[in-house]
Amino acid sequence: MLVAFAAALPARAQDSGGLFSPDSWAVAGDVRVTAGDGEASWLDGGYGKTRFGGSEPDRGWRVEPRLVEGNLIWQPRFGWAVSGTLVATAQQGQEHPVDLSEAFLTWKPLVGGRVKPSVRAGLFWPPVSLEHSGPEWRVTETITPSAINSWIGDEVKLGGVEANLAVTLGGHRLTGSFALFGLNDTSGTLLAFRGWALHDEKVVAFGLQPLPPLTGFIHNIQAPETRPVIEIDNRFGWYGKLGWSPMRAFELQLFHYDNRGDPEAMTPTQQWGWRTRFTNIGALIDLGHIRLRAQAMGGRTEMGFVKNGRIWVDTDFHSAFLLMTRLFDRGSVSARVEAFDTNGRGSRLGSEGSEQGWALTAAARREIGPHLSLLGEVLHVESDRAARATIGLAPHQPQTLVQLGLRVHL
Amino acid sequence: MRVPFLFAVVLLTPGLATPVAPGGVTINVRGADGKPVRDAVVTVHLAGRATPPPQAPGVDYVVSQKDIQFHPFVLVVPTGSQVAFPNLDPVRHQVYSFSAAKRFELKLYAKEQNRSVQFDKPGVVALGCNIHDQMTAFIDVVDTPWAAKTDAQGNVVLNGVPAGTVTVAIWHPYLRAPGNSLSKTVALGAGGVRDSFTVALRSPPRMGGDY
Repeated sequence: MLVAFAAALPARAQDSGGLFSPDSWAVAGDVRVTAGDGEASWLDGGYGKTRFGGSEPDRGWRVEPRLVEGNLIWQPRFGWAVSGTLVATAQQGQEHPVDLSEAFLTWKPLVGGRVKPSVRAGLFWPPVSLEHSGPEWRVTETITPSAINSWIGDEVKLGGVEANLAVTLGGHRLTGSFALFGLNDTSGTLLAFRGWALHDEKVVAFGLQPLPPLTGFIHNIQAPETRPVIEIDNRFGWYGKLGWSPMRAFELQLFHYDNRGDPEAMTPTQQWGWRTRFTNIGALIDLGHIRLRAQAMGGRTEMGFVKNGRIWVDTDFHSAFLLMTRLFDRGSVSARVEAFDTNGRGSRLGSEGSEQGWALTAAARREIGPHLSLLGEVLHVESDRAARATIGLAPHQPQTLVQLGLRVHL
Repeated sequence: MRVPFLFAVVLLTPGLATPVAPGGVTINVRGADGKPVRDAVVTVHLAGRATPPPQAPGVDYVVSQKDIQFHPFVLVVPTGSQVAFPNLDPVRHQVYSFSAAKRFELKLYAKEQNRSVQFDKPGVVALGCNIHDQMTAFIDVVDTPWAAKTDAQGNVVLNGVPAGTVTVAIWHPYLRAPGNSLSKTVALGAGGVRDSFTVALRSPPRMGGDY
C-alpha cells in the first residue's frame, strides 16, 4: 500500500514555488500487529466495539499483521493566502481501494490587528476532536481515539463552508467558527444501530460503512450499510464553535452541531435522512510535560415517521473521556478512561437500541527518527447492548485489543 | 541562533568623558515565585547625559524557523541591524510583523535561507507566521550599546557603562506592566552595581492549531 503511494508521488519536482513543490506533498502510512479477542468487530458484521475482534467462533485471541492505512497528502498553496488540502486514503476494509478523505480550500489573509479571519470550504471533519491532528487526521498520542472522536471520524464528515475568527484580547484568545454544510444527512445511523465504538477507521467521501445485523421492520426499510457522505433532503445543516484560552496552559471549547436533517427523507437505496444534533465540550490543560484532554458529548438522533406519537428511531447518546499524557523528549505515555451510553426510545428501535459501556486505554508513543514513530496500545472495553441477542450473544460483552503500530510520515 | 552580548560587551566607549565602571551593571530578574526569568531584555541608558548610539549595527543576527517555531524566542539587536530569517523547516512560512518599529512580510519557501530584513527603528517587533499561528517571537531593536537578554538563571551583565546615574529598564513580552516594561534609576559606582527586578509574568493564550 505504501509502496503504491510512493510510486504515485508525482516526481517531487524541484519546483519551489509552484503547486507541485516538494513541500506540498506528504505520504503517511500505518502498519500494525494486532491481537484482539471477543465478539466480531462492527466492521466484520458484528457488534464489536473495537476495530479488530477475536477469532470466530470461539471469540478467542486473534493475532495478525496488518497494513492498516496509507495516505497521499497534497497541500498546494495558491499564492500565500489560499491553500488547499487533498488527502487520498487507502484503509483496510475500505469499500474502494483508494478514496478521498478530505478536500478543502483555506483562505487566510495576512491582516494586522487583533482579529484574524479565515475561511475554509470543501469536504472535511468538523473541529470537534482534541485527539487528532494533521491533514490525514492521525490520532496523536494513542492508536485508537475515544468513542466520541471515533464516531466523528466514522460518520461526521461534511461538505460545507466554515468561517473562523480568532481574537487576541488582553492576554486572552477567543475563537469562533460558524459553518453551513450538507452531505452529512445520515449522520447518526451508526450511533443508533451500532452504538458507540472505539476504532480509527475513518469515513471517506465515496465509501459505505457497515451496519450490524438489522432485523424486523428496520431490516426492511434501511440498507445494510450506511453512506455517511450523502445529501438526501437538500437542507443546510450548521455548526458553531467557541474557544477560549486565557493562558497557554488552558483552553475550553464549546461546539454545537445540527444537521437539520429531514427524518422522513430517503433515497431509493434506502439511505435515510437523520435529524442529528449534539453538543461537545472540550478542555485541554497543558502543564508542560503533563497534558490533560477531556471531552463530553450529548446529543440526539431521529429517523423515520411518527407512529403513535413516537418517531421510528429516537436515540439519545452521551459519552465523556479523560486522556492524560506524559510527554517525553521523543515520545509519550497516555492513559484514557471513558464512558458512553445510548438510549433508544423510538417506536421501531426502542430499548434494544440502548447501551452502556466503558473503556480503558493505555498507550505509548516513541519517535524513532524524523519519519518513523512506534506506538503500542492496550484497549479494553465492556458494554451492554440488548440487540446482541439477535445474533445469539449475551448483552454484556468485554473485549480487549492490543496493538503495536509503526507510523511512517514522509 | 543566539548572539548574546555581541554588542553589549563594550569595554570602553569612545567619546565618554566619565570613566567606565569596571564592575558593570549586573541585573537579576526573577518572578514573584523566586524562579529566574529568562529572555527579559535589559537595557541601560545614561541619566541626564546623552546615551551614545550602539556600536556598528551587526549583520549576523538570525531568527531561524525550525520545527514550526522561531529560534530564538527573543532577539536583541542594535538599531540598523540586519536579521536573516532562514527557514530550516520542510514547509513554508509566511513571516510577518505589524509592529510600529517594523512592518514586513517574508514569504519563505521550504529550506530557503537567504532572506533578511533591516531593523532601522528602535522598538519591539512582534513576529508571527500566517501559516502557523503557534509561531511567536520578538526582536527588541535597541538604541543603546548596553543591552542584552537574561539567561536561564535570569542574569545579565552589561559592561562598559560609564559611572554615574543610569536608567535600567527591563522588557519581556509577557511582563505585567505598561508596555511590558519596568525601569529604575540606579547609581553606578566605580565598582559596578548589582540590582534585581521581581516581576509578574502573564501566561500567553494557546494559539490555535492548523488544519
